Amino acid sequence: MGAATAAPVADASSTPRGRSLADRIWTRRNGLRVLSLVTVFLVWEIWGRANPFFASYPTAILGASGRILLPEVLPALTTTVWALLVGMAISIPIGVMFGFAMARFRLIEIALLPYMNAIYATPRIALIPVLVLWLGIGFELRVTIVALGAVFPIIINSYAGAKHVDEELLDTGRAFMASERQLLRTIVLPATTPFVFAGLRIGLGRGISGVIVAEMTAALTGIGRILISHAKYLQIAELFVGIMVLGLFSLVLFDLLNRSQRRLTPWAATDGT
Amino acid sequence: MLEIAHLNKSFSLGGTKRVLDDFDLSMRPGEFVSLIGPSGCGKTTALRIVAGLLEQTSGTVTIDGSVSTGPSRDKAIVFQHFNLLPWRTAIDNVAYGLELQGMPKAKRMQVATEYLDLVGLTESAQKYPSQLSGGMRQRIGIARALAIDPKLLLMDEPFGALDALTREHLQGQLARICQERNLTTLFVTHSIDEAIYLSDRVVVMGVQPGRIIAEFHITMRKPRGDYNFRAEPEYAQVREDIWRLLEQQIVRAERVA
Repeated sequence: MGAATAAPVADASSTPRGRSLADRIWTRRNGLRVLSLVTVFLVWEIWGRANPFFASYPTAILGASGRILLPEVLPALTTTVWALLVGMAISIPIGVMFGFAMARFRLIEIALLPYMNAIYATPRIALIPVLVLWLGIGFELRVTIVALGAVFPIIINSYAGAKHVDEELLDTGRAFMASERQLLRTIVLPATTPFVFAGLRIGLGRGISGVIVAEMTAALTGIGRILISHAKYLQIAELFVGIMVLGLFSLVLFDLLNRSQRRLTPWAATDGT
Repeated sequence: MLEIAHLNKSFSLGGTKRVLDDFDLSMRPGEFVSLIGPSGCGKTTALRIVAGLLEQTSGTVTIDGSVSTGPSRDKAIVFQHFNLLPWRTAIDNVAYGLELQGMPKAKRMQVATEYLDLVGLTESAQKYPSQLSGGMRQRIGIARALAIDPKLLLMDEPFGALDALTREHLQGQLARICQERNLTTLFVTHSIDEAIYLSDRVVVMGVQPGRIIAEFHITMRKPRGDYNFRAEPEYAQVREDIWRLLEQQIVRAERVA
């Protein structure tokens, strides 16, 4: 009887969207999160003040940030991020292109796949000494380390995605008269996008650790240098400022990646809370 | 309109297997023909060869006098598992064939809207397949096929993956659409009831090798959803005859396997 008219009304009032902003923020779950955060900081503060030589504590770190955040850490972060972004920007198109080429051309696959797997398995850190000999300790070294770390997971994942596109969907495209190019654009590419993002996520993680290691061991610049130099003088609070800025920034990068994935693959309604 | 002559198909997978043996079928315009048979009788193989997705070992497929050797604009296919593109909304799926043909966007959206209306999914135009039920997805599959305005509609067990009620509902919709538009339809199914409901002619296929063993003309008035066609003597008779034939084939298939 009134079912058709009643349904939308009930719908509007019961969805989360219908609640006010304050209601949504002050859920029990968020309350628990705040409580755990406060507890951790409190325990850390007390324990840190009791061990002033090797440990630090939240208020000390806050003070240290006031001293070094703007003059020291931000310029260092810019240096690090610049190398990271250039390295990623190089590895994304190269990774996707190699991945697709290997998936679509049997000869390229046979010729390259063993190397890909071998290089992927080799720790890049082992390459730093030889790369220093070849490239010096400047910008090129760090970009190369990032690109080497990121490109292989992107290649392997794009390859796996493009290789295993549902044959039934390809047949569907063919039945509706798709050319090879159209198959690539309308089926292979969108089917592979989630795999490319999976590769990017691994690649970004490896890129970040790669650039930091390069900066700590060889280049002595950026966030890596901050970590090393403050550790040398036992300036634990300053050291933690560097670690935290790095952690926060990595979080932001991964969040950006997730957002762009959601935007580019709206059909895969992934909601990770 | 459709002429299939001496179609043969063998696969060689450690010894040659004859999937289709001297398959002959001709259809007149507007005719609805069902292929029915147990698994392994080659009905889907025959359909995929007509669609141009599979190459025959020998024999010819002719549509309106011209030999058909691959996919073409004058035929469209509906798949058992829908095969919608998950990254396209309902309307973009319906417009897919038109887009591949290079129809300008405004025009193809207009045509796609029309066919979405035809299958009763106007409201779901912007939804992705994952947000729709199986029955709705297959209606989009049907709209996508009809949108390219094919001379020949090919359907590969289109309702096989749906629940019984949805299936019956869609059979009624399809019967209406095919009759209104005078579509020439080649329909593969496992269901005797479905074949009789929809068809002008039911072609029964046997196994080992896959071949045609009998044909039944169904003369009951169409559309059959409008009256209780299952109460007609013709229904009971044809159903019984088809079942006897199929039963033998199923036993045969089991014995060989």
